[in-house]
Amino acid sequence: MSSEPSKSTPAGIEELVHELTDIKRALDAHSIVAITDAAGKITYVNDKFCEISKYAREELLGQDHRIINSRHHPKSFFTNLWKTIASGKVWKGEIKNRAKDGSYYWVDTTIYPFLAANGKPRQYVAIRTDITQRKEDELQLKVLADELAAKNKELETIVYVVSHDLRSPLLNVQGFGNALKRACGELTDKFADASDATLQRLLGTEIPRALKFIETGVTKMDTLLSGFLRFSRLGRVAMQIQPLDMSRLVHGAVQVLKFQTEQADAAIEIGTLPDCLGDNTLVGQVFTNLLDNALKYRDPSRRCRISIQGKVEDGKAIYTVADNGIGIAAEHQPKVFELFHRLDPKKTQGEGLGLTIAQRVLDRQKGRIWVESKASEGTTFFVSLPAVATAK
Amino acid sequence: MNQIHTILIADDDDGHAFLVEDNLRRSGVSTHFLRFSDGQEVLDFLFGRTKEPRFEPEHGYLLLLDIRMPKVDGVAVLQKIKADPVLHKMPVIMLTTTDDPREVDRCHELGCNIYIHKPVSYEAFTEAIAQLGKLVGLAQIPRLKRDA
Repeated sequence: MSSEPSKSTPAGIEELVHELTDIKRALDAHSIVAITDAAGKITYVNDKFCEISKYAREELLGQDHRIINSRHHPKSFFTNLWKTIASGKVWKGEIKNRAKDGSYYWVDTTIYPFLAANGKPRQYVAIRTDITQRKEDELQLKVLADELAAKNKELETIVYVVSHDLRSPLLNVQGFGNALKRACGELTDKFADASDATLQRLLGTEIPRALKFIETGVTKMDTLLSGFLRFSRLGRVAMQIQPLDMSRLVHGAVQVLKFQTEQADAAIEIGTLPDCLGDNTLVGQVFTNLLDNALKYRDPSRRCRISIQGKVEDGKAIYTVADNGIGIAAEHQPKVFELFHRLDPKKTQGEGLGLTIAQRVLDRQKGRIWVESKASEGTTFFVSLPAVATAK
Repeated sequence: MNQIHTILIADDDDGHAFLVEDNLRRSGVSTHFLRFSDGQEVLDFLFGRTKEPRFEPEHGYLLLLDIRMPKVDGVAVLQKIKADPVLHKMPVIMLTTTDDPREVDRCHELGCNIYIHKPVSYEAFTEAIAQLGKLVGLAQIPRLKRDA
């Protein structure tokens, strides 16, 4: 309060009363207010209370709050409430009430006991805020989240079943394609001396060419299906979230790629890395994948340099894997996390799943991955995971 | 103990069954083959509910079992076989398109002898079958006669 009114003069008291009345008006304008005596009988309700409960003031005065009980809360809920306020403490909570017309409303409630000279509560002031809409939204959100989880699971099952069932006929296409190849070989031997041009063309060119395309198609499809299977399995593997010694983990990932690193004559620098929370195997895979990418997409015109650094920011451990490779053009950057997207399918091996999987597994561990890159200068991948210290 | 007399193939896919038998023959296996197209068929045979072909206890049998089959799937068949006091001695090889670790574990727990993933790559598939062929040639398997 801004002024210090003197209580000794009538003018000072008047000012004080005026100020208190203003505060009460402000409270009434914002909140649902009720006052009860020590026994819980309602002695005062404001207009907002009447409005939301749909009772007239006369119907409420002299009653206790059971008049608006919704039977939603167990008995112990109110026993606890009474125990708290009767002992002179403030009670806070969310209560579901029932209005006169049978409709329900939720109020965020604070009950403040006014104490008598003997220290016992003489009356209670209950200040409430209507949170019915928020409660409905929360429920709606929960329903949506459940639906989404169910849909996700359904999708994973579909991916699994479809990719599994599609492999079965594929095995026949390849198996019998090979039987044809064998038969074609026998025919070629048998008719090696034949002068029939058509026969030579069919056996020598057309049939082998057709078989070759069948074989390539099958191999490609098998790679895609295996990828789908791996991807669908991700959502189902059990994770073990624990503090991770990232320095050890990243050195481990570097060790896994020792051969490729030597082949590429790459220089890898590892800074001090803060620990984080995650699943050892899954996070290890993410870093192996990022390193593998950095080695794969190196620029042959200069020595490959990779730097792995880390820091803690806002409760998150943020790691960077930076290379001086070929880089990713701005227009391709949003696509690198897409399923089966491959930057340069002709030059490099792989099924285009690594980053999709990395994003997926990090998402499951409350982590994130993003990229910054400049074509022909290099790429930096950022990985964030919950830092150890701030975790619950 | 005796040599394998008949290889039982339980697989709902005609093509797969043919390829398996064909590749085994090419790798030198000369046993008889019996084909069943679902789990129920192979159980009916093994539990003596069929006249032709008829289960002969003194023959050495080896079962190649697919998992995803109509009516009764391969895991259920494996379970019934391994729970039977006599049939549980019969070697069972799971030969299936799935390499889902959970499924593999489950079959091993139930007591399958070998688990082979049907690879799509022809070379890998032939190699797997050829290995199986060698095994079949060498294996000594128990008679399945029930004690009188």
